[in-house]
This record gives sequence, C-alpha cells and structure tokens, in this order.
Amino acid sequence: MIDNCIKIEQLTKRYSGSTQDSLGGVDLTIALGDKFGILGPNGAGKTTLISILCGIIEQTSGQVYYWNNDPHVKVQSIQQKMGYVPQEYAFYDELTPLQNLEYFAAMYKLSSSVIAARSKELLDILGLTEVMNKKVATFSGGMKRRLNLAIGIIHEPTVLFLDEPTVGVDVQSKMAIMRLLDQLNEQGATIIYTSHHLDEAQEFCNRIALIDHGNIITKGETVQLLKEHNAKDLKELLINLTGESYRD
Amino acid sequence: MMYRFWIACKKEFLILWNDKTGLALMFFMPILLVFVITIIQDSAFRIVNENKISLLIVNKDEGTEGKRLIQMLQDSKFFKVTENDKLQGDEINEVMNEESQITGLIIPKEFSEMLAQKSNLISDIMMEELDLKNEETHEVELTMPSLKFYHDPVLQENYQTSIKNIVNAFVKSIEGDLLITQICAHLELKEAPEKLKKAMSSNQVAIETFSATLSDNDITPNSTQHNVPAWTIFAIFFMVIPLGNNIVKERVNGSFIRLKTMPTSFGLILSAKLFVYLLAVILQVMVVFTIAKLTFPSIGLPPLSMPDNTLAFLTVVVMTGLAAISFAAAVGTVARTQEQANGFGAVSIVIFAAIGGILVPGFVMPAYMKIVSLFSPLYWCLEGFYTLFLRGGDWDVLLPTLLGLFTFCMACFGITFLQLKKNKII
Repeated sequence: MIDNCIKIEQLTKRYSGSTQDSLGGVDLTIALGDKFGILGPNGAGKTTLISILCGIIEQTSGQVYYWNNDPHVKVQSIQQKMGYVPQEYAFYDELTPLQNLEYFAAMYKLSSSVIAARSKELLDILGLTEVMNKKVATFSGGMKRRLNLAIGIIHEPTVLFLDEPTVGVDVQSKMAIMRLLDQLNEQGATIIYTSHHLDEAQEFCNRIALIDHGNIITKGETVQLLKEHNAKDLKELLINLTGESYRD
Repeated sequence: MMYRFWIACKKEFLILWNDKTGLALMFFMPILLVFVITIIQDSAFRIVNENKISLLIVNKDEGTEGKRLIQMLQDSKFFKVTENDKLQGDEINEVMNEESQITGLIIPKEFSEMLAQKSNLISDIMMEELDLKNEETHEVELTMPSLKFYHDPVLQENYQTSIKNIVNAFVKSIEGDLLITQICAHLELKEAPEKLKKAMSSNQVAIETFSATLSDNDITPNSTQHNVPAWTIFAIFFMVIPLGNNIVKERVNGSFIRLKTMPTSFGLILSAKLFVYLLAVILQVMVVFTIAKLTFPSIGLPPLSMPDNTLAFLTVVVMTGLAAISFAAAVGTVARTQEQANGFGAVSIVIFAAIGGILVPGFVMPAYMKIVSLFSPLYWCLEGFYTLFLRGGDWDVLLPTLLGLFTFCMACFGITFLQLKKNKII
C-alpha cells in the first residue's frame, strides 16, 4: 500500500557559479493526501525545492523518491499525474482562456472531448466562463491567477505543486482558489504549496515544513508545531525560528 | 501525437495571427519595399536606357564643327539636346537649375579652328615623314580648347564618365574626319575619295551583348528580377521580430518551464513553431511574387519571370525559411528581454542585408566586403534566388549555396539548443 507521496533524503542544490548551497541536506516526507506547506522567508530555498520535486532542475546530491519510496520511479514517468502551478503567469496573453487550456491540456495528452469537458468545468468553477473567449491580456491579476491554476489542474493530477498560488490577488479570487484546492484534496490529491500568506497556510495546510537558508528548521503537523513552540500562529512561529532580519 | 502537434501548431498560428505588428512586418513591408524600390530603381535604369539624358548646349563655336558635334549628339539618341547659344559664363548653371537639365556642355568659340589646326599639323607631319612634302614642318605647340561639361550634382560619377566618353568619342571622330580631309587636300585631291570614306565609316568592330545565364530560358536581368526576391528575403528574415519575441516571452513568463513539467517532448513544441513559420514563409513568397507577377506589367515595371525548375525554387524558399527561423530561434533564446530581441534582431537583419547584397549589389562591393558578405545568411539566400532568377542555374550550381544555408541553420540551431540547455528548459 502506498503511503508516501514523496520522500526526500539529504537533498542538496548548489547553482553553478554560487559559493553556497541553496539547499543543504533536506530530509522530508510528504504523505499521500497531505496539504503540505513549504514555508519560509524570501530566498529560503522554497522554489528551488519545488523545482527539484517537479523535475525542472536537478539536485546536486541526495535522493527524491516518489510513490512510496520506489527508487525506479523517476519524475519524468509521473508527469502525467503531476500538476505544477508556477508563481509566474505561465501562459499566453495573446490567447483566450479556452485556447490556453486546450493547448496545455493537449500537452498533458488529454483527448479533445476530455479537454472540452474539463475546460468548461474549470472555467465555470473559477468564474471565467463569461470571458472564456476574450484575450487573457485584458484580464485582471485575480483572473490570471485563476487561469494559472486551471491549467495546472486540468488533467486532474494526484499530486499538485503550487508556488505562491495566491500572490497579488483579491480576497474573492483567493477564496475561490483555496476552495478549489480543498476540493481537489478531498478528492485525493496531495497538495504541496509555498506561500508568504502565513494565515492562509495555517488555515489550509495540515502539515508544514519551515525552511530557511536551505535547511528545514522544523516540520510536522501544523497544530502540533504551534503547540510545541508555544506560538499563537504561524507568523509568530516563523519569526521565533528565523528571526526578524531582512532576507533580500 | 498528431493531435498534440496539431494543437501546438494551432497555438503558434493564433499567436502569430494576433501579432498584427509582426504580420505587417512579414507581409505588408515586403510588398511596400518591392514596389517602392523596384519603381525607383527602374526609373533610374530608364534614365539611362530609355529616357534620354537632358543636355543643354551652349555653342560658341565660330566654325562648323560645333554644329557637327551637336548633330552627332542628337543622332546618338542618348541625349535630349537643348541649344541656347546666348548664355554667357556661369549663366548655364542657373538655366540648368531652372529647366532641370541634368547635363550641360559649352563648346568654345575656337573649337573648329583649333581642330582644323590640329589636323593640319598632323597631316603636315605625316606628309613630311612620307617624303611627300619638301618644306620642313615647324614645330608648333597647339593649345587645344576645352569643352566645358556641367552636371547635376546628384548625377552618379559613372554616368558622368559615360557621358564624357561619348562626347570624347564624337570629338575623336570629327578629328579623324578632318585629318582625312586635310591629307586629301595636301595630296591635292578635291575631296576624300568615296571608297576611303566608306571604309572609314563601315567595318567597325561590333559589340554583341549576351546575358550570362546558365539555361535556355532567356531571363533578362532587370530591377524586378533583383528586387522581388531580394526584398522578400529581407522580409522573411524580419520574422526575427515576431518569432524571437514569442520565444523570449515563453522563456521569461515560465511557459517553457511549465511545459517541461508536462509529459511532452520539447522537440514537438519546436517542430510546431518550425512548421507554422515555414508555412508563413511560403505564404510570404507566394503573396509577394503573385502580386509582383500580376501587377508589375500594368504599372509599367518589367514583368517577373519565374524560374523553370519549380522544385529547385521551392527548395531555395524552404532553405531561406529555415535559415530565418533558426536565426530567430537563436536570437529568441539568447536575448534576455523582448526589447533586446527586437533591437538586436532588427539591426542585425539590416546589417546582414547591407553586407549580403540586398541594399547594394555585391558586385560593386570592394574585395574585402565580398569576403565579409559570406558571413551574411541573406547573401546565401540571395545567391540561391539569383541562381534561379537571373542565371537560370540548376541543382549543381545551387548546391554550394544550399550547403552555405545548411551550415548557417545548423550553427543557429546549435546555439538555440545550447541556450535552452543552459536555461534548464531541455
């Protein structure tokens, strides 16, 4: 029986030309069905960690095991089950939401009938049906964020990586996005997410890992960690563990 | 696989279709350039070949040879002669400007007299050398008069030289004629014998003109045969703006990275780009060539003659397209911003066009520039089109050109591959 979605052992990353590690020996286990938050200040290594897990960049050393520690499962072989929502609006402004969804869904090898049905469903859920034939260039930040999410989940992934999915959006868009992520998790998807919105992360994540200077400072169940560190919320926990100095 | 390829092509097409500036650069610009440059060049061509060059003559000659020279210039059909003998000194400048005369000529008053003196002197010397004269010829230093030639300051130097050579040839002809007359006079002949005159005027060495084409197709080199392919190539390479921009955007906004997390090959994405932009190139060529073919004769421009070998023509078009696409892809992957891609792309195409013989024909370039031009992809493309359109060449003549283009494509695709690798996209 598969319990672990991802297991990371002694993962390090040093970018070429850099004198220090961006990740310095990270050990982490993410269980199936987790809503896992990777949290930390700017430059802590959150995006680097997610990029390695998604197969965008390669680690310098260490191991990543997918699906219950199976060493034979490589990231390329699970791309069909994996969704990635980057921090950037990674789609085409010149196209409509429908055309964007059709393109990326086809790259996930979905058939035309599935693409049509899923596009309609997602545009409806994310409140983009009325503008589905308008060029994305005319959209607000919130609409673009919702489309960014729709592209990442159109193929119904079982593990979803989100890098700051709600940055720069209004409350309404944020609620729509978080509600949809909850629904996906209830349907069985494991969600791995980074955010600067600690109140949102506290509400959403059942487990978290705090990361700073490329190292995991603490990890575990959100409620348990707050209790252990005697912190009233994640903001206090983060400040207690990482300090108040700037991380530019 | 085919469905994904089709959707990827559809996306490329929609992005290109929505880029109105890019489309204008690819389709409207070459049509405009082909028309404007061909009309201008054709008109310049006609000034020399069909339209006579206007020539204002001020004949101050007191004898008959000035009039004879004028008659010869008129008979040459090279000039439209206007005579105004009343003009004095620099007045010819003013009149030329007022009447838009391109060239002017002042025949001095002692023209006939001095030519006569010269022929007399030469004839005396000849008689003396042939022992047909007893008295010795005195050595006389003749100061020959000058014809004053005026020209519009914009008239190119090679035209000026050609005109001066024509006038000079006529003066030499008059001198020769006067000399024969003078010799006959010395021989106490009333006039030169008809036989001699006939022999002098006939038996000239003729110059037959041929175009150095390699096929039986009698294609006449003209402004149309040069400009239509040349400016179409220029516009094809301007796809560096839409395609280069498109690639920079996809790289910078994370679309390429997102695609890397998907179960699809990057080769498929690049193949779709290649396919759509190659179709756009073929469409560009079809549109520009069809418009030129259908409209040029009706506006008085030379008609466009298509090459006989359609397959060779298509191959040259495809290789030109591949060279342009590979260059745009290299610029798109190397540039950090769209502004960089636009600026570098546009400037490099203009420079490539200049050194490649699009703006100025390669044969007028100095030797070192001819070597430099080998580094321009537009040179190789133009050579391919020239081989078909002007020289009527075939596959064996085309082969070096196609190899040159192939090398350029491989170099650009190599840069693209290395850059994508460096950016962790592939």
